[in-house]
Amino acid sequence: MPGSSAESSAPCSDSFSADAHLAAAAGSPAGRLPPMTPILEARDLVKRYPLGAGEVEALRGVSLAVAPGEFVAIMGASGSGKSTLLHLLGGLDLPTSGEVVIDGISISNLNEERRTLTRRQKTGFVFQFFNLIPLLTVAENVALPFLIAGDSMNRHRQRVDELLAMVGLSAKATHRPDQLSAGEQQRVALARALATSPAILLADEPTGNLDYTTGAEILDLLWDSADRLGQTIVLVTHDASAAAYADRVLVVRDGEIRDEIDSGRRGHHEAGPLIGRLAELGL
Amino acid sequence: MRLGTLAWRSLLARPLRTALSMAGVALGVAVVTATLITGSASEAALRSATADLLGSADVRLRAFADTGFTPRAVQSLRALPDVVAAAPVAERRLTAFTAPGAGERVFSLLTIGIDPAVDAQVRPPRIVSGVALSPDSPTDALVSASWASEVGLGLGDQIHLDGARPGVPPLRIIGLMADTGFAALERGEVLVIARTTLDESFLVPAPIRYLDLDLDDEDPEAALARVRAAITEPYLLETADDAASRLAAAQASFTGIAFVLGLVALVVGAFLVGNTLAMTVGERTRELGLLRAAGTTSRQVLCIILRQALALGVIGGVIGVAAGVLLAAGMIAFLSSTRAVLVSGLPIPLPGLAAAFVLGVGVTLAGAVAPAMRAASLSPVNALRPSMWRARGLGARMGWLVGIELAVVAVGVLLVPVSESGASLLPLFLSLGLLIGGAVASAYLVEPLGRVIGRPFEWFFGAQGLLGRADLSRESGRTGLTVGAMMIALAAVVALGTVAESARAGTERWVSSILPGGHAIRSSVPLDVDAFRGTFEATPGLLSASPVLELPVVRVTGEVQEETALAGIDPNVFEDQDALIISGAGRGSAFDALRSGGAALIPAALATRAEIEVGDIVTLAQPGAQGVDLVVAGIVEYTLPARTPEGAVLISSADARDTFGATSASLWIMVPQPDIPASAFAGAVRDTALQLAGQPLTAPELAGDLSRSLDRLVGLFDVLALIAVVIAALGIVNTLGIGVSERVREIAILRSHGMTAGQVQAMVVAEAAMMGAMAGVLALVVGIGVAFALVNGGASADLGAGVHLPWGLLLAVVLTGTGIAALAGLYPARVAASLPIVASLKHFE
Repeated sequence: MPGSSAESSAPCSDSFSADAHLAAAAGSPAGRLPPMTPILEARDLVKRYPLGAGEVEALRGVSLAVAPGEFVAIMGASGSGKSTLLHLLGGLDLPTSGEVVIDGISISNLNEERRTLTRRQKTGFVFQFFNLIPLLTVAENVALPFLIAGDSMNRHRQRVDELLAMVGLSAKATHRPDQLSAGEQQRVALARALATSPAILLADEPTGNLDYTTGAEILDLLWDSADRLGQTIVLVTHDASAAAYADRVLVVRDGEIRDEIDSGRRGHHEAGPLIGRLAELGL
Repeated sequence: MRLGTLAWRSLLARPLRTALSMAGVALGVAVVTATLITGSASEAALRSATADLLGSADVRLRAFADTGFTPRAVQSLRALPDVVAAAPVAERRLTAFTAPGAGERVFSLLTIGIDPAVDAQVRPPRIVSGVALSPDSPTDALVSASWASEVGLGLGDQIHLDGARPGVPPLRIIGLMADTGFAALERGEVLVIARTTLDESFLVPAPIRYLDLDLDDEDPEAALARVRAAITEPYLLETADDAASRLAAAQASFTGIAFVLGLVALVVGAFLVGNTLAMTVGERTRELGLLRAAGTTSRQVLCIILRQALALGVIGGVIGVAAGVLLAAGMIAFLSSTRAVLVSGLPIPLPGLAAAFVLGVGVTLAGAVAPAMRAASLSPVNALRPSMWRARGLGARMGWLVGIELAVVAVGVLLVPVSESGASLLPLFLSLGLLIGGAVASAYLVEPLGRVIGRPFEWFFGAQGLLGRADLSRESGRTGLTVGAMMIALAAVVALGTVAESARAGTERWVSSILPGGHAIRSSVPLDVDAFRGTFEATPGLLSASPVLELPVVRVTGEVQEETALAGIDPNVFEDQDALIISGAGRGSAFDALRSGGAALIPAALATRAEIEVGDIVTLAQPGAQGVDLVVAGIVEYTLPARTPEGAVLISSADARDTFGATSASLWIMVPQPDIPASAFAGAVRDTALQLAGQPLTAPELAGDLSRSLDRLVGLFDVLALIAVVIAALGIVNTLGIGVSERVREIAILRSHGMTAGQVQAMVVAEAAMMGAMAGVLALVVGIGVAFALVNGGASADLGAGVHLPWGLLLAVVLTGTGIAALAGLYPARVAASLPIVASLKHFE
């Protein structure tokens, strides 16, 4: 089963157990996470979309568990279902069947309003296309989650300043997004996602629109927030060099988790071993 | 498939937007159509009323003296061989009432006495129900059918004349007249009875005001000459044209204002269409770039956009003309029921309808020209960059905006029916220019104004208000045009309300300045001052009864004699009661001059027209008598009404008596003692008036009567202006709808960060409400400016009191604008809130 790197060559079975993974993660050879209650769980997620007269099955009974502070990457080819999985994990979409549990709350059973509030409180998103609000300044974009929650930016000024300092954009707090480079915009998006110290940070191809160097800066920031701040991160990517930052890589193919590569927490982010492993899997 | 098919597919691909744009054109065309039809109905009614009023009579001889023609004068004219028929008409304003007791109703009616047989010869009565008068039924009466319907009277009902001699039986309604002929006078508040009945009901015969003469057709000129030679009493000669212009003057401004409101609606529709097409082209820039890259020529791109506009204009125009006919039917029904303006039937003036249709299509095409040219001029490389379209500034749109509006105004000038009705065009078109200029200015003011007006919304809505406000400046040109369109419509409401308020204030000021003490009695015939003074002075609570000695005179300037009216007043009463607004001289010195004798106060309108100043000498004379020189002691802003439109020249009652020989008065000013309650004194005055078969007058009632008829018209105009508001609201739906479609990914980002569907709705509604609030605030400024133009442009003589602001209405306009805009924002808000997050995140990827 895909609970450990030793068994990762075997296709992922539908009987993947979160508990089993957590136990395995605790015993993995590199970074050591203590066994604990998962902060994010997916239980037998199925997602079908209507297509013409019939329907297409994007996810076929996916289960996974993410421990607090863990950095997990979800890899797969285009159309494999990895982004769909991320959207379900973040509560942006609802599964056809199955359940997503964030920090003990089953969001799949909540009404739209409650699900939105849970998303506001528990998650942060970073997207490929930055998606900053062009009419707001850099600082206001970072403070957006507070504003949406009905707070003023002044009340969270210190937190906003900390985040801007963290992403190295203190000097550009009053700039508009169109005055920033692509990498800077994505750093703002990352700061915004971290603003409320969410339980989980969900990143969908955050380097997909950036050059190599700029992408590496963003991944460094992500890894730093996981390693230094204990931020739980789920990263969707098709780029092995990005996935190499993760403690654990889940390989999605045809709507299922087919494999899991557990490298554990480590100080370097060499992609070579991961690429080799992926090659073995035919990816 | 041909390339042109893209035009239709583009329209069909966005059915709601297409429908809203068509609705904008259709509503604008509908209002123009309706005003043209109503104008035609008004003209037809005027023609018909004039024709029915004069019938086969060639001329009307109007008695110069208030005592009217004597029966001898009538007989002498009838004896002339050239006179086929001479129909005398006696008039008396009387108070009439239904059977006394519970449910008794009292009316003030112009009672017209005719000789039924002769009158039927000259003007066959137009009876819609019942029968005409006959010479042998002295108690029969005719009333206007629409007035009877309004007050709940019908055939067979009885009417009593107030002040009639004891034993005079009540009148019985035997016929209901169509709204023409006599029924077109006094908004239908007329009672037609036999002249003998009118004479015998009272102690004093009713004066014969005019004689309508049917002359021998063989040589009318010679016949008229013989008539002139035969008549020995002072008279004025009127033709059918004079009678028509008398009637037309009362409703000249109606057609003009209604048509300008139609143009306002069309201008707002033009904003909607132009803005929508510009936004559509903006949205499709990439698609157009692809077409251009694939070899489509600029001309082909231009044609695609213009074909869309043509389709919108033609379909919207057809629907608009049809809707306009329905709207006209409603307007005509309303005007008929309120009798505010003389209208009849539902004429379908085909040239007018065609013009409204062409105007709608033309405006739509004009609105499309600039976006189409912009689209055609884009290079393929630039068009494939979405940012290129949005980056262009506001200034790029102003040119075509002004172009459209000038086109609308130019066509409007060509079509305008007001030029024929005699209303002043300058203030109306100055107003239209202010509205359009204000709309253009609005586009530039949106950003700074948004920062101020957005504050309360940010405070109330929080992040949604902040984001909504910020979004207004995303496309300031688009927002500006949408706000401008709403502003025009709301400004029309503000202007109408302000003019109406100013007219009410003017009326009150006018009435209170000519009625010292606020009470008066008008008798139906002049009463001898010495003989009747005691009766008036017996009124309980009276401080003084002051007769106004009225007499007709001519003003002599060299060889020219001009009819005018003279009124002798008691200077002490008018000065003590602070009546009359005098300019050009000190108040005290003007009244001193009157008391000293040989002085006159000249009405401002006459002074302006004849260039008379204080200190000048005016010469007044009675027919056939020596002229009397009077020094102009002052100019009065308002004066007592008289037969001449400029009102009466005022002199002292002593001069009127001693110099001009006036000894009787039909208007008596009744000044109460200071400590008498107004209602008690009004009752006492009413009792005295009853004794004398007169009509009691109070300042508030007189002002109220005048204001009520004004309110009816303003109500109708407000409906037209509100149609323009609705068109502007459609523009908001369109603008926000496009804004939402452009921002789907941004909205999804907000949703992904925890913004609830309700918050998204609130954000869009707040944005809409801010647009409405901005439009409302700007409308106050522009609307008041328009009101200034109308009031100071002399659109009406009732506006001499200057501009008076209706504060309640101004607040209501801002709130209504905000509310309507917020309502318009509900649909786009729902769309925004229901956007699927995941699919929206992939938008444009």
